[in-house]
Amino acid sequence: MIAKEKLKDYAHKLMFDMDDEEYQTLQEEFEIILKQMDVISKIPNISEVNPMTFPFRVDEERFLREDEIGDYLTVGEVLANSKHQVNDQVKVPKVVEE
Amino acid sequence: MIEELREKLDKDEVTSEELFNEALKKAHQYQEEYNSFVTIMDQYKIKKRADSILTGIPYALKDNFSTSGILTTASSNILKDYVPVYDATVYKKLKQSGAVLVGKTVLDELAMGGTGTTAATGIVRNPWDKERLIGGSSAGSAAAVALGIVPFAIGSDTGDSIRKPASYGGVVGYKPTYGRISRYGLFAFASSLDHVGVFTRSVRDAAIVTDIIKGQDSHDMTSLKDDNKTYLKEVDNDIKGRKLFYIKEICNLDNYKDSNDKELIETLTRFNELLDKCRDQGFIIEEVSIDKQLLEAIYPTYMTISCAEATSNNANLTGIQFGPRGQGNSIDEIIFDARTKGFSELIKRRFILGSYILQKENQEKLYLNACRIRRLIVDKITELFKEYDGMILPASGSGAPKFDDSSEKLSDRYLILENHMAIGNFGGFPSITIPYCFVNNMPVGVNITGRIMEDDVVLNIANKIEELTGLKGIKAGDMHV
Repeated sequence: MIAKEKLKDYAHKLMFDMDDEEYQTLQEEFEIILKQMDVISKIPNISEVNPMTFPFRVDEERFLREDEIGDYLTVGEVLANSKHQVNDQVKVPKVVEE
Repeated sequence: MIEELREKLDKDEVTSEELFNEALKKAHQYQEEYNSFVTIMDQYKIKKRADSILTGIPYALKDNFSTSGILTTASSNILKDYVPVYDATVYKKLKQSGAVLVGKTVLDELAMGGTGTTAATGIVRNPWDKERLIGGSSAGSAAAVALGIVPFAIGSDTGDSIRKPASYGGVVGYKPTYGRISRYGLFAFASSLDHVGVFTRSVRDAAIVTDIIKGQDSHDMTSLKDDNKTYLKEVDNDIKGRKLFYIKEICNLDNYKDSNDKELIETLTRFNELLDKCRDQGFIIEEVSIDKQLLEAIYPTYMTISCAEATSNNANLTGIQFGPRGQGNSIDEIIFDARTKGFSELIKRRFILGSYILQKENQEKLYLNACRIRRLIVDKITELFKEYDGMILPASGSGAPKFDDSSEKLSDRYLILENHMAIGNFGGFPSITIPYCFVNNMPVGVNITGRIMEDDVVLNIANKIEELTGLKGIKAGDMHV
């Protein structure tokens, strides 16, 4: 069974936490998930296949063009959903110590 | 259905505002019992001088599409007060067409889930039986159409998030070829698998709505050049000689001979009856066999790719630029707090799985191998599509499960029969679910998937099969009148 500490480490890397009971549930769920995942490694000669990261080939070059001014958001719109602002900027705790 | 409403509007038998008010009344009437909506609009708004087949027609939009000035939560607490400042392209196109928004629908939190039970605002119930789930993640959109609140609704589909709830809700659910409809303004879950699509009560209606919202978009570099086809014009084409296949490992009753599951047996029996009716109409339908190991890998492959992509896509949810601000003395602390409070347990579990998959020691074994299996599966289906025009399969092994369903998650039935529709996302194939039978008084859908770029063919095939089911236009709302 995967160690709870490992799961905690994965969660912390993504910048959130869960309570002990939730880690317990996840630990049990992982047992099933890892069994399902086993199937992935069992396919014969899988390492010879080229990984697919997009449904089908698309010619992206058609979007290359000269820059042009399009619609853009005003400062007010950009900040509209931010709870803390000062001088048209998002305010966060001080990063540089005195 | 849309064309009937269009005719009534054109003959001045009803006004658009009356249709909106009627939809609004139903939306409120059913809200407490079924919970389709996060937000129900309070004002009738229509674009002046719009003139399209959808002008004046009410609709619902999944709450993970950006709507300027209208709360958009993705059914997550981390966005519970988020009011976007720009419009998703789909919403913009519908606005320009004169369609009238009735409300934003409930989804599984951040579209990550298949049950419709994980939204921050509560579970969505199945309109055909309140004790059952409707499926997800586009749960509210499916329920709103099934209840007859709106004739169509927009959803998104990453694994089967339109096509599965369509099956459970007795409605049509269609996701076109990847890129056919712009994803701009759709909150990304797994970008290489995410599709925009529609819920309607007929295949014709699915064609009508897709005709309006499809097309290339400079805001979405993965959107496809428009095919300049009008799908509605193609739906009645002759299908004689069209070849379809079904997969033996999914459909053959012998696979389940040890099962006592009567609903499963009936679902597959009725599926075989449907195939016979299709053959009588001129379809050629054949059985093909696909390596079972490959089919069993569909679900873990989907989970691996989608969770990995989701982990990265949702890194922008920090509570700093938008969403509830966390507490703490540093940026890290406030992000940590906002994310700990903002995500529900289920979402966190999926993210941790994504994190696990992306750990250096697992990248090759899990993530890259999943991407390799994706290719094997897509190649296999593409090869079959050289001979066949489409694939036909049951969208689920029964009607919607009850809320306390505890099906075995390692069984063949779960791994293959209940999860094969992710094939459509892996390869970006156009794919549609339509209702074909009732089992134990619950609707079950049949899924038809076709070649990329051949959306017109898939809709044409589905339209002809719909005629054979006798279930065109059904809605659960009729039972509640």
